[in-house]
Amino acid sequence: MHKLKRTILPFLLAVILALSGCENLTPQQQAAIDLSSLPEYSGQAYVELNNNVPFFTEEDLTSASFEEYSPLDELGRCGTAYACISTDLMPTEPRGSIGQVKPSGWKIAKYDFVDGKYLYNRCHLIGFQLTGENANEQNLITGTRYLNVTGMLPFENLTADYIKETGNHVLYRVTPVFTGDELVARGVVMEAMSVEDKGDGVLFNVYCYNVQPGVTIDYATGDSALDGTTDEGEQVSYILNTNTKKFHLPSCPSVNEMKPEYRQEYDGSRTILEAQGYSPCGRCKP
Amino acid sequence: MILMAAVDDNMGLMFNHRRQSRDRLLRQRILALAGDRTLWMDRYSAALFGAELDGHIVRVEEDFLAQAAPGDFCFLEDRSPRPAEEDIEQVVLFRWNRTYPADLHFDLDLSRWTLTCSEDFPGSSHDKITQEVYTRA
Repeated sequence: MHKLKRTILPFLLAVILALSGCENLTPQQQAAIDLSSLPEYSGQAYVELNNNVPFFTEEDLTSASFEEYSPLDELGRCGTAYACISTDLMPTEPRGSIGQVKPSGWKIAKYDFVDGKYLYNRCHLIGFQLTGENANEQNLITGTRYLNVTGMLPFENLTADYIKETGNHVLYRVTPVFTGDELVARGVVMEAMSVEDKGDGVLFNVYCYNVQPGVTIDYATGDSALDGTTDEGEQVSYILNTNTKKFHLPSCPSVNEMKPEYRQEYDGSRTILEAQGYSPCGRCKP
Repeated sequence: MILMAAVDDNMGLMFNHRRQSRDRLLRQRILALAGDRTLWMDRYSAALFGAELDGHIVRVEEDFLAQAAPGDFCFLEDRSPRPAEEDIEQVVLFRWNRTYPADLHFDLDLSRWTLTCSEDFPGSSHDKITQEVYTRA
């Protein structure tokens, strides 16, 4: 707990300073990060913080593996998850069930256009592929499918593959950001720095939005509703690759190279398609 | 030149001035493909290969795309290939088959090229890397 205080409180202070510009902070301000200076979500799953440099201090850098999770607060909300990750912490067995955990703000909500249909995932703060934490309630928040897959997963992949290839350590910290007494996080701050090469391999500091295109979320309760945008927009025709989750113009050369079992014709809204986790092909750029 | 690069599912090359990923077996394959021909790269990439370059014909220059001759191999990580597009005879693209964050992308329009070969192989830390060869259409 001492180490938790030593590492997390200075970090929270730094985040608050960075995000709000406040210099005289009350304890109440330290408990909630001001989001007012962050841009509204506008189609990009994350924004960079502090020029992508994490808020770690020199004394935080260690090549000894550890993982720490904050106790749930009085509202049952997760706090910072912090680890120095190397291969010794990574999972050696497949992930088990996590359905018994009900993170703060947890609601079952289904939308046909969301990848997998369920709006919310039990979203690991530190991804399972990094520390193998399975049904740890201190490491699971109510996160949208979009946050989980489009926002956080690419950073987890980058970190995991670096560690697996080099055997080095990565200092890694994920902080859910709540506003006031809201039960669903507005987003998460993800920081990482490779230790042995002092950030030459991995270095990032980003804020990932806990949003789902096409859905409005009441962050106080977890309730949700269609925001109306999914019924709008031009109807388009694409060819989907259900394996790579790419959509292509029918004339794209990749369509002919696609395995038949992954090929699917699509007519409908591009917004809905992107909300399902599909992204445009890099060759035909639809 | 024969251009080689590694990309993620979104044709990303780098994020925050750092390569998205690395793989020892992929580097071995790159060196094997170059064989006894000249392999060009910049200092950033050469540092990744390190002593693995010993015994190979390698030229390390910051403007390697401008200096490479026809038939030479180039390994590109930290820049756009487009300034050298006219000089590229063939593209060998390695796909990580993973999604990483990216702020620099491989921006050659490959729809104007013909995919002539695609082969999967396991990496040292990647389950499946796909090697694709593109020639001018």
